[in-house]
Amino acid sequence: MSTTGSSNPEYVNARVRARRAALFNDDEYRKLVRMGPAEIARYMEESEYKREINELGSRHSGVDLIEYSLNRNLAKHFNDLLGFSEGRIYDLIARYLRKFDAWNIKTVLRGVYSEASREEIDTDLIRAGEFDESFINRLLEASTIEDVITTLDGTIFGDPLEAAFEDFEETGVLVPLENAVDRTFYEELLADLPSSEPIDLYREFLEAEIDFRNARNALRLARSGTDIDPADYFIEGGQLFKARELDALVQDPEQLLTRIRDSSYGRELSGPLDELEAADSLIEFEHALESVLLKYSRRLGNVYPLSICPIIAYILMKEREVENIRAIARGREAGLSETEIEQELVIL
Amino acid sequence: MSLELASEFGNVVLQAGEAGGPALSELGAAAIAVGLAAFGAGYSQRAIGAAAVGAMAENEDLFARGLILTVLPETLVILALLVVILLL
Repeated sequence: MSTTGSSNPEYVNARVRARRAALFNDDEYRKLVRMGPAEIARYMEESEYKREINELGSRHSGVDLIEYSLNRNLAKHFNDLLGFSEGRIYDLIARYLRKFDAWNIKTVLRGVYSEASREEIDTDLIRAGEFDESFINRLLEASTIEDVITTLDGTIFGDPLEAAFEDFEETGVLVPLENAVDRTFYEELLADLPSSEPIDLYREFLEAEIDFRNARNALRLARSGTDIDPADYFIEGGQLFKARELDALVQDPEQLLTRIRDSSYGRELSGPLDELEAADSLIEFEHALESVLLKYSRRLGNVYPLSICPIIAYILMKEREVENIRAIARGREAGLSETEIEQELVIL
Repeated sequence: MSLELASEFGNVVLQAGEAGGPALSELGAAAIAVGLAAFGAGYSQRAIGAAAVGAMAENEDLFARGLILTVLPETLVILALLVVILLL
C-alpha cells in the first residue's frame, strides 16, 4: 500500500474480476424489484452482503439496515482495492477513490454545521477513501467547522478549504466550503497523470465524467430557473464547456442541448437527448448519462485488460449496484410500482 | 561500469579469437540459448503468477487452474533444452 515501487496490475485485476462476477445481474434485480424491504435484506444476507447484514442487523432494521450494509460493503471492497494495489496503480485508484474522502469531509462539515451528534454523522460516512480510521475519528471529534479545517491541514483539501473559510465566515452558508472540496477532488484527479496509452484513455474517461457532471449541473440550473452563477458549480478539466460560456448556455437551454448534441458524446447521447426534448424529464436523461459512462468504462476495460481501466469500470459498477439496490428498497418502502422502480435503475 | 565490462569482454573475445577457435564454444552458445529462454519464461510467469495468486485469494478452488497457467510458459524452457540437446 504505497505509491512507490513496482506496480501490480495483474494481481489487482485478477481480484477485481472475481469481485465483478459477484455483482448482481439483471435477473437478480428483477427478483429484487418484486420484494419488500425485509425480503431484500434476507436476500442480501444470502449473497455478497452476508457479513454486513449480520453485523448491522442488531442495530438497524428495514431500509436503514439495507442502506448501511450497502455502504459498508462498498467501503470494504474499495478499501481492499487500495490495500492490495501498489505503485502506480495504487496512485490511479486512490485518485478516484478520494471521491469518498470528499464525501466524508462534506458529511462532517454538514453534520457540524447542523449540530448533529457524532453517532449520526458516523453512520452516514462511507469509509472507502484514502483517510484511515484514526484520521476519520479525529475529524469526527472536531466540534466546529474551524476544527475540521485545521484537522484537514496537510491533506490535499487543507489549503483550498482554508481559502474558502473566509467566504464561509462572510456568508454563513456551506456552499463555498463544499465547492472547495469538490473542486480540489477534480483538480487532483487530473493533475500530473503519467502518460501511456491506457492512462490517456483513463484521462479521457475522467474528462467525460467531468463533462457529464457539468452538463447535468447546467441542465439542472437551466431547469430550476434560479439566478445562481453557474460558474460557481463549474468543474475545470472537461472538454465540453468553458467556464465563460456556461453562463450564456444556462440562459438558453435550446443552445445547451445543441451543444451537447454536437459534441463527441452526441452519438451516444442522441437517443436520450431526443427523449429529453420530448418528455421533458431530466431524471431519465441523468440516468442515460450514467449508463453511457458505465458502458464507456466497460469498453475501456475490454480494450486494455491489464490496466487501470477494468478497475475503474468495477468501481463504477459497484457504486451503481449500491445505488440500484438502495433505489429498489426506498422505492418499495414508498410504495412505488415495479415499473416506476425499474425506471429508477441503471442496468446495463 | 557496464562500458568497462563490455570492453573487457571484447578483450577476452579477441584473445580467444587469437587462440584460433570461435569466440563462443558450442557449449557456451547452448548455455546462452537455454538461459535466454528461461529468462523469457520467468518474465511471463511474473505476470501470470501474480494474477493466479490474485484469483486464488478470491476463490481457493482456482488453485489447480492457476498452477497450470503459471507453469505453461515453462514449456519455452523445455523447447529450448530440446533444441540444444538435438544440436549438441
